[in-house]
Amino acid sequence: MMTTTLSPEQSSGVNEKLIQTASRRSLLKSLTEPLSLLGALVVLIVIFSILNPRFASLENLQNLLNQASLPLIIGIGATFVILIGSIDLSVEGVMAATGVTFVLMSANSRGGADLGIWAWLVPLALGVVLGLASGLLYTKARIPSFLVTLGMWFVGLGIATVLYGTDAYPELSNDALTVWAATITAGLPNVFWVALILMIIAALALRYTRFGRATLAIGNNEDIARSSGMPVTKHKIVIFIIAGALSGLAGILAVMQMGGTSNNIGDGYLFITIPAVVIGGTALSGGKGGMLRTLLGIMLLMVLKNGLILAGVSPNFEDMVSGAILVVAIIAVAWSQRGRLRIEK
Amino acid sequence: MNKSTTAAVPALRLTGISKTFGSVEALKNVSCEIAKGEVIGLIGENGAGKSTLLKILTGIYQPDQGTIEINGAKTKFRGPRDSVLAGIGVVHQEQSLFTNLTVAENISMNSATGRRFGTTFGIYRWGKLYKSAAETLEIIGSNLGPRTRVGDLSFVDRQMVEIARAIRVDTVKGASPIVILDEPTALLERGETEILEREIRKLKDLGSVIFVSHRLDEIMRNCDRILVMRNGELVADRPTSQVTEAELFKLMVGHESRATNHQRGKVNPDVVPVLEVNNLRRKGKYSDISFAAHAGRVTAIVGTSGSGREELSRAIFGAEKFDGGTIALNGKKVSGWRTPKAVRNGVAYVPAERKVEGMVGTFSAAENIVLTHPGSAAFGPIIMPWKRNQVARKWFAELDVRPNDIDQDLERFSGGNQQKVVMARWLNDPKLQLLVLDHPLRGLDPGAAETVNEHIKGACTNGAAVILLADTLEEALEMGDDIVVMRDGNITARFDVSVDDPSTLDLLERMV
Amino acid sequence: MTTTITKTDTASIAQKATADGLRSRRAAKLWGAIGPLVIFIVMFAIVAILVPTFIGGGTGLSIVASSAAPILLLAVGQALVLNIGSIDLSNSALTVVGAILLAITLGPLGAVAPVVVVLVVSLFGAVNGLLVSFFQVPSFALTLGTLGIFQATALVISNATTVYVSQNGGVVSPLYTTRIGTLPLTFLLGVVVAVLAWLMLRFTRVGQGMTAIGKNESGAIFSGVRTRALKVTAYALSGFMSSLAGITIIAQAGSASPMGLGSDLLLPGITAAIVGGTSISGGVTNPVNVIFGALTVALVPIATAAIGIEAQAQSLVYGVVIIVVVSLTLSRNKNSIVK
Repeated sequence: MMTTTLSPEQSSGVNEKLIQTASRRSLLKSLTEPLSLLGALVVLIVIFSILNPRFASLENLQNLLNQASLPLIIGIGATFVILIGSIDLSVEGVMAATGVTFVLMSANSRGGADLGIWAWLVPLALGVVLGLASGLLYTKARIPSFLVTLGMWFVGLGIATVLYGTDAYPELSNDALTVWAATITAGLPNVFWVALILMIIAALALRYTRFGRATLAIGNNEDIARSSGMPVTKHKIVIFIIAGALSGLAGILAVMQMGGTSNNIGDGYLFITIPAVVIGGTALSGGKGGMLRTLLGIMLLMVLKNGLILAGVSPNFEDMVSGAILVVAIIAVAWSQRGRLRIEK
Repeated sequence: MNKSTTAAVPALRLTGISKTFGSVEALKNVSCEIAKGEVIGLIGENGAGKSTLLKILTGIYQPDQGTIEINGAKTKFRGPRDSVLAGIGVVHQEQSLFTNLTVAENISMNSATGRRFGTTFGIYRWGKLYKSAAETLEIIGSNLGPRTRVGDLSFVDRQMVEIARAIRVDTVKGASPIVILDEPTALLERGETEILEREIRKLKDLGSVIFVSHRLDEIMRNCDRILVMRNGELVADRPTSQVTEAELFKLMVGHESRATNHQRGKVNPDVVPVLEVNNLRRKGKYSDISFAAHAGRVTAIVGTSGSGREELSRAIFGAEKFDGGTIALNGKKVSGWRTPKAVRNGVAYVPAERKVEGMVGTFSAAENIVLTHPGSAAFGPIIMPWKRNQVARKWFAELDVRPNDIDQDLERFSGGNQQKVVMARWLNDPKLQLLVLDHPLRGLDPGAAETVNEHIKGACTNGAAVILLADTLEEALEMGDDIVVMRDGNITARFDVSVDDPSTLDLLERMV
Repeated sequence: MTTTITKTDTASIAQKATADGLRSRRAAKLWGAIGPLVIFIVMFAIVAILVPTFIGGGTGLSIVASSAAPILLLAVGQALVLNIGSIDLSNSALTVVGAILLAITLGPLGAVAPVVVVLVVSLFGAVNGLLVSFFQVPSFALTLGTLGIFQATALVISNATTVYVSQNGGVVSPLYTTRIGTLPLTFLLGVVVAVLAWLMLRFTRVGQGMTAIGKNESGAIFSGVRTRALKVTAYALSGFMSSLAGITIIAQAGSASPMGLGSDLLLPGITAAIVGGTSISGGVTNPVNVIFGALTVALVPIATAAIGIEAQAQSLVYGVVIIVVVSLTLSRNKNSIVK
């Protein structure tokens, strides 16, 4: 059978053109999404400043950053979890459990001892343990993360309720703790510095460490990751531990902000964080996204919340606007990739 | 059996390898040798034991009996990592790259490498990573950019990345690499296989190659020696110069290849063509496409990747859109053309990606068959299970599907039998007018391929028109009554096979 | 040189391999079919042993069934959406909207009111489906957004307060007061709906098409299944169930509020669907088993209270039980990836 050979020059010449275009396209694609988010953010800030000049005041912006800090911290953990294609619904439960633990171990209005550093370490350890439990059940018992963390949410709430008991609401006696969060250092609230530093570390980890790259790989294709010899199970457990620890930290900080707590300190954070991560462009299916995007998503939502209140919109409509923005945002992201054969669940 | 006569230690030697799963003997006493610089072909029908053997070589399975020697040293692979460390790299048929990461990262992903290639204590040094990846790419003669995201690369470029990753093992221990190419050309177009064959020649200088394929002509062309497997045993180990394709087929399958006798139907000018495509275009894919498909005839569309023929065939099925021009079925122009509508109008489509697009794997074979055209199995919107089973059993007998279990999940059947069930689903349409087939024989062993071809011709005889996107030019010439050649989105030539009698050279010239 | 070719057929080798795995697959199938029922019976029995008065006069079952009714309705709708591989996070909010709407309209519209509510809320459900299928957006995020929109809608139309049925409450309250055995009609309504859903999935082309989408959407598209229309249908049905759940709430309480009865049914509904054997990734569900899933989910808080576990620990128990029960009933494929 006669066959005809293509000269190597012919075939490689075609390839070169394709390669260079592919390289350029990659770069462009990775920039447009965050840029359009940034653009939307700027537009919102401008609109709200016009609607109520108080919006743009330094005081309000610092307040805004203060409010955004905890979602940012939780968002770091959430981003890691979502990048491997899972989800962590236990955030509010973990916050409640660690928050109550923190209050009861610090000097508070109920009496009890002030255990100093332990008041920090024990709740954090609790967060780690809860995260570890979630991770183990998810990987070893092979229960989808959705359900495991759903259960953990109630477990966390339950722990908080049991610890809380039936006595009076405990308030932190140490005022220094209470005001620390909102105190301005170098122009920004302390708690925001914490969030920012943690976020920078996380972003660097994603880009420059084996752990970070493996996270992206696992989220992209777990089967291949496993057969490449990556310790996928261990990796996933570590991610849930990180998420648990960060939720725990958020619980502690939330209590400091409130000055005390019952077991509802975590209420509402889940439905801010997850939409923010999604709006930021991190795909729920995993393997795509990052910390910068989550930062933008959270800032977008917080600006929205803050701006709407200042603009005098009735609180009844708050959810509607956030909900509508989420819907519009995901439609906008998906628009360019529409195709008859595209599957999105 | 011919043993290699070189005095040097063979790169790989298997002695008495056996593997049993439950009561099934997947491998029986397999022994062979591969010398450094040799290209060995490995052929056999699906189920003959090829993939089990490969999985043992890559450390996924451990043999129950027998030994593996790498460079003369007895080795045990406890897992994939051991195999990688021994110098064995695999280029799979299904791609095993992370599409969201760069070329450089994917190449370095084999954890056997590491510190020397850009990571220090787990921290990535991107500069170094890119540089070392570029070096590897150069060794294999590719000029891919190491920073490119794999998801943006074409299929053949991704295969280059896979090869680069597979040979990366050579610099680990100084062991010569053994690269396993698992059906590498199954998804490649004509011009692209040239690139791959060039790679194989390069790899010979670096180490050894095991080339697994169903395409006997490629095996003959590229390999020094050929191993034939059948029913778990190694039934032949011959130098290429001492064997012919026909002999190989017989060794693999056990019988002669049935003579193909395709009645070429004549075009009847009075009858409206089943399909008429006029000036069809889709931005960036194809333009100015006009041709007709007639009842009882097979129109083969040939072209390399980028020719636009896949997109065209999907547009005819309504699975992709088109920007301009018209499609007419039996003289009537179509509008609002989507797959449910096409299906209602008697159009059928057998996709190339069988597992993903051709079937619903966790549905049973019976459920798959009646999913599109239930026929007698449904009374309006209601499905009657006993009738469904009747229909399924009929097709199982007709197409000789094995094993004969209509309730088994379709994904558990072998590739050839899956394809038969997919064909059954479309043939069950009494009003089948147009059968569009995209690489229907891909991944099929020769026995199953024959059955499928028979039924394609059968559909023709029953009055349907067939559009075929074949794997090879030979297949196109054998099956096609009309041939349409596409290049870069345009039709560059048309042939009526019985009148013009084109050769593969005629086709190639207009394809590239 | 001769080569030996054995007589063993490749096919029979494959067949033997199949037989070995068949036994374990059959066992898994059996458990999938009766597992949820067994779990409910076992749990109920445990409670009955610990608290003998629980079953006295059938009160225990009756209480559980009443509580389970709206959960069951939402769970069946959710199961249909999970079956196509998506999720509906807004169904509980739709229930509240439906209930409030009914409370407002029962007075002026009388017996027509429930019909209006069913139509309107089903339509909202269909809108969910349209957005998901036509814009090809992830359903988790989309229904999270519509959840917010519907919640806000509930706040607005109720003015953030409880709305009481002014008159004509008798149109729907018999649903709750009428009992067959000890079970209220609201629950039996859920049972009927579940059975109908089961029949639809197994014996109609619509149902098979939906399941195909859940198992492999690409495969379904290339098989000519009308994927978009079926997705909209699944969401419309979920909306339909939500409206029925809203009606049962009015039947039971005679009033509705954005924060009251029915507003926290999202997670119990999802859990009930999953305990009933629905797969989160799609293509696997058994609405009849969802009945037992709903009963189980409704039983847990009632049982913990009856057993006398202190109120504080109830959340804890709920969480642990959920994890345990789900891990027992989950349909797991050995080689599939769990997300």
